[in-house]
Amino acid sequence: MAFSGYGAGPGGAPQQDPLFGYFSAIAGQDGHISADELQRCLTQAGITGSYQPFNLETCRLMINMLDRDMSCTMGFQEFKELWQVLNGWRGTFVSYDRDGSGTIEGQELEHAITSMGYHLSPQAKNCIMKRYSTNGRIRFDDFVSCCVRLRALTDQFRRRDTTQTGNASFHYDDFIQVTMSI
Amino acid sequence: MACHSPYRAAPHMNAPPDQGFLWNIFQRVDKDRSGVISDSELQQALSNAMFDRENKGGVNFNEFAGVWKYITDWQNIFRTYDRDNSGFIDRNELKQALTGFGYRLSDQFYITLIEKFDRQRKGQVAFDDFIQCCIVLQRLTDVFRRYDTDQDGWIQVSYEQYLSMVFNVV
Repeated sequence: MAFSGYGAGPGGAPQQDPLFGYFSAIAGQDGHISADELQRCLTQAGITGSYQPFNLETCRLMINMLDRDMSCTMGFQEFKELWQVLNGWRGTFVSYDRDGSGTIEGQELEHAITSMGYHLSPQAKNCIMKRYSTNGRIRFDDFVSCCVRLRALTDQFRRRDTTQTGNASFHYDDFIQVTMSI
Repeated sequence: MACHSPYRAAPHMNAPPDQGFLWNIFQRVDKDRSGVISDSELQQALSNAMFDRENKGGVNFNEFAGVWKYITDWQNIFRTYDRDNSGFIDRNELKQALTGFGYRLSDQFYITLIEKFDRQRKGQVAFDDFIQCCIVLQRLTDVFRRYDTDQDGWIQVSYEQYLSMVFNVV
């Protein structure tokens, strides 16, 4: 299952990478981490800054996003990749969280989605906004959850859009499995 | 390539349960004793929109009585597949249950399903997790069916339709 676009091969020994320290402290012998280990790892590495740590479901989503062998675990290269992606999303979120409350408004989520390059109809954006907001506001954890799903769903869709026209065919069994795993 | 119509096992016509028994169950779920079972108490396992007639954000005792039949239907199904009576359904039992409902899903996928729905982190699904899993499957099937106008098991959708379909359910 070839998968392009997920970063170059290892450049430089992982041991020199500061992230490796956080990762290996939790991964142990088998060099892989599960969702709850990822939760600890990210919290310790400080990706969430002053925001609340990620909840377990969001961590499960993040593992699934990069889980090519369907093992439900993540290796170090994927962790690095995730780190970069999370940094980008956090930057976007922070730029909208002007009052530092840890939440952004529904409208701001829609702007953020567009600024990340997703061109969606007002209805689709509204649907997403409703799904992720609590009392009209979106927390960082939910924002990341939304971004992960958008990215994963877009990847899945693209793989089935063989003519590159923005249309894809799904068989029922495939649709169920793709959607349920996200 | 049809054959994608999963169905719940036909509910049995039980005699109405004893009110005292029902009240005990109700009280156990209504943890803050408000007389109303809130969304967080009932958890996602039950679709409140189905039972909360007055849109209060919860169900009172009378509405809960209506929920009871729904719960017992699911309980019967769960018990059928919880063959070792452990109170949990393991991967094999889940596969049998869902295959029995008509789903055709890969073995690998059941690993993902357990991972997703196993809230107690036991590698197996408890009763409420099982209900949630089945409800999500049902809702995805419903949304798929709406787009599958010729009922051949295939849909063709635009990127936006796809995102809307999924974000409405999961």
